[in-house]
Amino acid sequence: MSELLKIEKLNYSHSLKSILRDVDLTVDSGKIVGLLGENGAGKTTLMRLITGSAHGKGVITVAGASKIAERKSHVSFTEHLGGFSGGTKVGRIFDFYQAVYPDFNVARSNSLVDFLQIDKSLKLSAMSKGMKEKLIIALTLSRQADLYLLDEPFGGIDSMSRKKIINSILKWKPEDSTMIISDHYVTEIASILDEIIVVKDKTINCHKQADEIREDNDMGIEEFYESLYEGGDQDD
Amino acid sequence: MKFDDKVPIYYQIKEYLYHQIVTGTLQPGEKLPSVRQLAIDVTANVNTVQRALTEMLSEEIIESQRGKGNFVTTDVEGIKQLHNKLVKEQLTLVYQQLHALNLSDDEILSEMKSYMESRDGQHE
Repeated sequence: MSELLKIEKLNYSHSLKSILRDVDLTVDSGKIVGLLGENGAGKTTLMRLITGSAHGKGVITVAGASKIAERKSHVSFTEHLGGFSGGTKVGRIFDFYQAVYPDFNVARSNSLVDFLQIDKSLKLSAMSKGMKEKLIIALTLSRQADLYLLDEPFGGIDSMSRKKIINSILKWKPEDSTMIISDHYVTEIASILDEIIVVKDKTINCHKQADEIREDNDMGIEEFYESLYEGGDQDD
Repeated sequence: MKFDDKVPIYYQIKEYLYHQIVTGTLQPGEKLPSVRQLAIDVTANVNTVQRALTEMLSEEIIESQRGKGNFVTTDVEGIKQLHNKLVKEQLTLVYQQLHALNLSDDEILSEMKSYMESRDGQHE
């Protein structure tokens, strides 16, 4: 187990408004980590800072690389399929990924497409929310990366799709890689998490082992997470 | 597998596998699924499954054969002891709870007896 992601003294502001401040974080390789926090707490921003699509002050290192161009090659993050128009066929998106990313693994991609029953002939605009989330998982995991970021993959999808997504994570996440999954509701993924990180009051409020929480506090992860908000003063 | 979120997951996986071993679902000498397959079967991550297996190895209920995987021990006596231990754990729980309801030992015995008789009646 080695240090995979290291964030030091990260500060980020947008339009003069401070979004994240004094973030320090270290995550080891081979982990599945839950990134928790309320809507608007800065979870997506933190992911965009890690990939380098947002720029803050401070140092972010992934697998030893801190320069954005190098760091990007270690991170697999599919941000809401934003770059593709509704008329794009799903197969074209896979072709694009294969062309752009040298670490695209065709065999694994095909297995994922089979397992998640993704229809490559569909247009993006014809896909349901659940299908889109499955597509995002398949694209993200088709790359052989060191760090995978999933931004709220379970928002508004049915329980069968959720199970499939969770199983594909367990099946295809490379053993030494780390995956960070953001969510504002933790119960559905609690059993697969090694650790949790809570973003609250513009910074990392808490970073703990999941089984340690259960062992030391005699409470579930959701309960523990909620307890962080009890009696706390609201910032804005 | 349905987990109780209040109890460490590695512990629940261990209990689940022990249950399979003492009831014979997993036979002495039988090969366990791979760590990743177990992780998928129970919906937990590989590190958590590995932690459960490491404890089972140190408790000598499973054995690891290099390059081949993990196997249930062929030491039937050890499995018997595990079975006794699990039975005792359950009995302790029931005993403590009934005691907490102010039942004496004699009352626990007679309550248990009449409970079992009423169950038998339901089954037939």
